[in-house]
Amino acid sequence: MSAGTSSDAPAPAGPPAPAGPPAPTGHRNPAAPTATAARAARPRRRLPGPATLVRLVLLTVGIVVAVLPFAWMLRTAIGPPQTALALESNPIPSRVQFDSFDQAWHAGDLGPALLTGVGVSLAILALQLATAVPAAYAFACLRFRGRTALFAVVLATLLVPAQVTAVPNYVTISALGFADTRVGLVLPFMTHAGMIFMLRQYMSTIPGSVLDAARMDGLGTWRTLRSIIVPLAAPAIASVSVFSFLLSYNEYLWPLLVARSPGIATPPLALARLMTDSSSVIPDFAELAAAALIISLPSLAVFVVAQRRLAAGITGTGAGA
Amino acid sequence: MSGVGGRVGWRVGALLAPAFVGLGVFVIGPALVSAFIAGTDKTLTGPHFGWVGAANARTAFSDADLGGAVRNTLVYCLITVIPAVAIGLALALAAERVAHGRALVRFALFLPVSANIVAMAVVFAYMFDSSPDGFANTVVGLFGVAPVDWLGDTSTALPVVALVGGWRLTSFVFIVYLAGLTAIPRSVYEAADVDGIRGFARLRHITLPLLAPTTIFLGVFVTILTLQTFETVAVLTKGGPLDSSTTIIYYIYEVGFTGSFRIGYASMIALLLLVVIVALGAGGALLGRRIRRAREAAA
Repeated sequence: MSAGTSSDAPAPAGPPAPAGPPAPTGHRNPAAPTATAARAARPRRRLPGPATLVRLVLLTVGIVVAVLPFAWMLRTAIGPPQTALALESNPIPSRVQFDSFDQAWHAGDLGPALLTGVGVSLAILALQLATAVPAAYAFACLRFRGRTALFAVVLATLLVPAQVTAVPNYVTISALGFADTRVGLVLPFMTHAGMIFMLRQYMSTIPGSVLDAARMDGLGTWRTLRSIIVPLAAPAIASVSVFSFLLSYNEYLWPLLVARSPGIATPPLALARLMTDSSSVIPDFAELAAAALIISLPSLAVFVVAQRRLAAGITGTGAGA
Repeated sequence: MSGVGGRVGWRVGALLAPAFVGLGVFVIGPALVSAFIAGTDKTLTGPHFGWVGAANARTAFSDADLGGAVRNTLVYCLITVIPAVAIGLALALAAERVAHGRALVRFALFLPVSANIVAMAVVFAYMFDSSPDGFANTVVGLFGVAPVDWLGDTSTALPVVALVGGWRLTSFVFIVYLAGLTAIPRSVYEAADVDGIRGFARLRHITLPLLAPTTIFLGVFVTILTLQTFETVAVLTKGGPLDSSTTIIYYIYEVGFTGSFRIGYASMIALLLLVVIVALGAGGALLGRRIRRAREAAA
């Protein structure tokens, strides 16, 4: 974890206390011992210095660039119909209307797509939790022969790109008769090594005394998992759940291969098809933007509700390498 | 507990079994099968296929289209990864000490990561429309530049696709660096302050060295992610015009899942890509460990 690497951080600077007397280093403050006092007295950030200005400009530009595509999506969706022949590039739409949402909803069959997308993502999440939580518990809290080797196998699967497994998985799913079904969209994602890894990292921090106490109270492996480990690991479980949902909901390659009939298209697939269909005629960008906005809503909602969880989840993956 | 066989054994087995069934059937098994198919001339539709040995590998090394895809992927990596890491770091350094509006800054800069990449690709396609009244053409028009057919021109298609990828990656880099910065203890900065190390000197001699493990992780992880770029290409350009934006992964998709569905050859290319990815991952892990060792030795 990034926090772990920084535990050896104070080394170069050393503890502050003995570093006081050697005055020669303090070029700027001749009176070294009073330096901290002077610093405390000087109110910071009264006048923005050049560094602060650079920082503000950088952040402002960064935020504008980050938000611009979302703003442009919204602006286009609520504006008048737009084709390549009559495009509006002024920030304020000439008139506001919501017809595009209605058109997009029907043209792209977005209702069923949203249901499929959310349903498939939730089913994947349920399966991943059911497989990853027990495995993480075993790796974090139980001792058994081959633990290190098995855990290395789990981690190694993280390196395999989806495109390597796509072909055999397609064959497997077809052989099971799940090609072009929602089950086929779910099954290959039933477990996720990253989730096992992140949960194990978190569960490893649960003190051994807690496990010992559980054993003394006569709790078996299952009861310990259910009534001790899962409640204690709830924050980590929440983080990986948010992460899992966003990944599944935004997945594009696998649905593109498996969901051949339009009836079970996931939202990104429905949107991509709407775009391809409309390029044969003259595309209406207002309609496409409205569709993009509609299919973004579930992931945006999850993001808004669970922003902190998402950040924790991402930095959790930053952990191992 | 520390029991090795018997009673604990079957419990461990029961706990691990569901996960290993999933990984075995859908990741490990397919990876092995893929390695086998890579030695055959199998197509997705034809029932018969034969062993061709290393022929697919030989084809790959003399395949001009694959060469082009490799070149495009390298260019794509170069122009997304380096700017994304640099800008993400700069933004994280700038955002770290924001006193007011902290939540707003984070919300806005986290947004691209959570975005649906296909939805965003559609929006970018529209912003970079070839019409003189498109968003990008209006912006460059302010500087007197003639309208550009962004996605239809062999010289601009790949950079525009890279821009979408870089836009999203920067946000990811920002989040990871921000966490790395928060993990640096206050006491380090206080000690530096006492020693008169401030501003740029502090950034160069204290902050950046302490962030080195994060930087290595990001460099490797982001490069691996970027090597697998698919969605943006598929939605924005479908590899065109004239294959000018075909990346390796998109080429694998084209070979294996369109046209004559040559999944034997597609598997071979995927396998070669896997070798590169594993080498990158191992190299990154080794470098990270060396730095950690050096630091422990210094401490």
